[in-house]
Amino acid sequence: MLLEIADLTKRFGGLTAVSGISFGIDHGEIVGIFGPNGSGKTTLLNLIAGVYRPTAGRLLWKSDELTGAPPHEIAAAGIVKTFQNPQLFRELTVFDNVMIAAHLRLKRHLGVRRMATLWPWYRHRSVNGELSDHIDHVLTLCRLDRFRDQAAGSLSYGGEKMLGVAMALMCEPELLLLDEPGSGLGHDEIANLDEVLRDLRDHGTTLCVIDHRVGFLGNLADRAMVVHHGAKIAEGRPDEVLRDERVIEAYLGRSHA
Amino acid sequence: MLQLVVGQLLNGVIVGTLYAIIALGVTLTFGITGIVNFALGAFMMLGAYITWYLTDGIGIPYPLAVPLAVLCVALLGLAVDQALFRFTRNNLINGLIVSIGLISVLVAIVLMIWTTTPQSMHYVLPGIFRIGGVIVPKMKAVVFIVLLLVILLTYASLTRTWAGRAAYAYAQNPEAAALMGVRTGVLQAGVAAYSTALAGLGGALYASLYSIAPEIGASYILKGVEAAILAGIGSVVGSLVGGIIIGVAEGVGSIFLPSAYNDAYGLVFLVLILLFKPAGLFGSKS
Amino acid sequence: MKSYLLWLPLFLLPLVVHDNVVLTVLVFSFILGILAVSFNLIFGFAGQLSLFHAAAFGLSAYATYLSMVHWSIPFWLGMVVGVVFVALVSVVIGAICFRFKLKEFYFAIVTLAFSEIARLVILNWNSFTNGSLGINFTVTPTLWVPGHGVIPVQGTVMWYYLTLVAVVLTVIVCSRIVHSWMGRCFASIRLNDELADTLGINVFRYKLISFVVGNAGAAVAGSLYAFYISFIDPDYLSINQSLAIIAMALLGGRSSVAAPVVGAFVLTALPHVINVNAEARLLIYGLILILTILLMPRGLVGSLMRLRRAA
Repeated sequence: MLLEIADLTKRFGGLTAVSGISFGIDHGEIVGIFGPNGSGKTTLLNLIAGVYRPTAGRLLWKSDELTGAPPHEIAAAGIVKTFQNPQLFRELTVFDNVMIAAHLRLKRHLGVRRMATLWPWYRHRSVNGELSDHIDHVLTLCRLDRFRDQAAGSLSYGGEKMLGVAMALMCEPELLLLDEPGSGLGHDEIANLDEVLRDLRDHGTTLCVIDHRVGFLGNLADRAMVVHHGAKIAEGRPDEVLRDERVIEAYLGRSHA
Repeated sequence: MLQLVVGQLLNGVIVGTLYAIIALGVTLTFGITGIVNFALGAFMMLGAYITWYLTDGIGIPYPLAVPLAVLCVALLGLAVDQALFRFTRNNLINGLIVSIGLISVLVAIVLMIWTTTPQSMHYVLPGIFRIGGVIVPKMKAVVFIVLLLVILLTYASLTRTWAGRAAYAYAQNPEAAALMGVRTGVLQAGVAAYSTALAGLGGALYASLYSIAPEIGASYILKGVEAAILAGIGSVVGSLVGGIIIGVAEGVGSIFLPSAYNDAYGLVFLVLILLFKPAGLFGSKS
Repeated sequence: MKSYLLWLPLFLLPLVVHDNVVLTVLVFSFILGILAVSFNLIFGFAGQLSLFHAAAFGLSAYATYLSMVHWSIPFWLGMVVGVVFVALVSVVIGAICFRFKLKEFYFAIVTLAFSEIARLVILNWNSFTNGSLGINFTVTPTLWVPGHGVIPVQGTVMWYYLTLVAVVLTVIVCSRIVHSWMGRCFASIRLNDELADTLGINVFRYKLISFVVGNAGAAVAGSLYAFYISFIDPDYLSINQSLAIIAMALLGGRSSVAAPVVGAFVLTALPHVINVNAEARLLIYGLILILTILLMPRGLVGSLMRLRRAA
């Protein structure tokens, strides 16, 4: 079990956004999280990524305790999350955005020796060159290579979302959490996203995706969990889960069940 | 000893209302224009100088000089808001830098006209009240009552008049208020002018009690900001309470602690509030 | 990187120009340039408005002089003491501020508060610091020069070269940081620190590094300044000094490493070109703060570069 969450709970003042969710994610899976608006899916992902500290419950990553760790530690451990509303460095170019995201990669490859790059006579052209190639590779993968030198703020909404994915990829995640990656994307872009995600899984990255488009996620995911009012109401294979009475009731109301 | 403490307590309450009027200006400005206007201290200083000049320099009777001074300061505050702060709405850092720059400009102008020598206004209302053995100068009591009335009037108008409620609504939800017909630009300019007027009033009254110098604004804006943080944004009554708390703490504290470090205690207090108040400066915007 | 060629003429200047006033203006410009450049590392690049810079400037000056007098150590060692002292204080203050995740505005207020506390302590600790009277120096700084041994730093020309080397070194250090992966971390923190956090960047650590390194620069400037004018008083730590530093950085330009030196030069040279008294200087600093924020956010250097690119 790669990631294990036990009884994870988050309360904001009087509001309980996530209540006692227990779940596990295995290596190499694509897990889908379904649920109507406001059910707590994004909060759950934020809890896993360290953006919020849990009010109660535990988070175990490869059997190590990560509960309450700050976001940068969780990212360094291998869990990276994208944002539903794309978070970017709008004033910088697309290339530079991904370059910043390469921090973890640089840290992993160079370790403490990266301090040496600060000396005036250090020939770090080779390091930068290899990094530059890798960034271009990631950009091409996400179909952003054309926008390489454009300001990130000038991208279309779909472009911004893909840039968010590109930056997350640059962090070399073992578990990639995607919050509504497909929303706002056109037909071609979704097909491309689907391809990128499957490709990622084939290369060993585990994925956990939130998307309200049942069709897209239903085809993509190996396993699914449904969240409603902050609690888990169903778990299993997507086609089973989506036929579950309680799930249909949560989405559409009692009369449709 | 008890007399001393009670005396300091009463004094602290009165000084506290001076802090409170500045705090009210700070909290209103923050709620409606999104910045903390540090120049309110300088406007207070201007109010003091203009009042002193009108009474001692030109000979206008004090009760007339005060509203005149307040008007002058308010007009200046409005002009400055439209010329400068209009471009730093909701940008705390730029607002901070511009207001610091403005303080320098205002202080420099006052220095050039009146130099750094402290000035004293002649006594407006000499005489004292005796309250159970404690001496309270009559003028201080008048200042206290005037400030208290103004603060309560502000509270009343915020909750009962249309303009006041519009301001309140805007502080809570700018977009909704705009959709409801609240004219944002006018509201912000109005609040800016009013906050400056409050500071000017504080200064005008200050001049009747103490000697004035170009630096007096500095400690008042600091304490005003502290009181506003204690109070919470939009809380008019809170500004009053916060100001009085600080005034009393200062007054009573000065009996027991060395006064040289008075300002330092206030600063430490400020740091502690800013570190531990979880939602930042003013809590929620309601 | 042809901008460093601009520094070359400065090294040759004293051979051609012998006017003491000009050289003195340049000495002050270099020292204040160190102050402004190091401030800009924290503000322009890491995005944190620190109002503690004047305090770092002053604390180092006091620490340098007092350690020299009480421990009988040479100037360069005293400067080390000053820098180390300021660095330690910065680590403590920075750790407090950044651990509590103070956002930029509140960070500015808290650093201002700490700066004022430091000033009040120095002002009132009469037995140690001589309080508001300040201290007139009786010790001359000395330097160990290879080949000449230990020599006193005297005379404008010596000070000129000492401070020029110091400001060039400061610019080089800041430039290396800014143009490296660490500079990218600073930029990410300045532009969107919550995003930077989720990308694995330890925001606390890099904010702290920028704060400590920046203040160390201010410390160097403080030691040099105090010994150049042989006088020190609590005004080194005043808000007016912080104000002047911000004015220099904004005037020169926030987005370039060396641009604040230009700001320092303009503000230092100005009183010699136009006859201004202290009040007018205050007025000018205030106007510069207001006008640069509203009209010229890129500063002089930035605006010039923009014009050149557009042409």
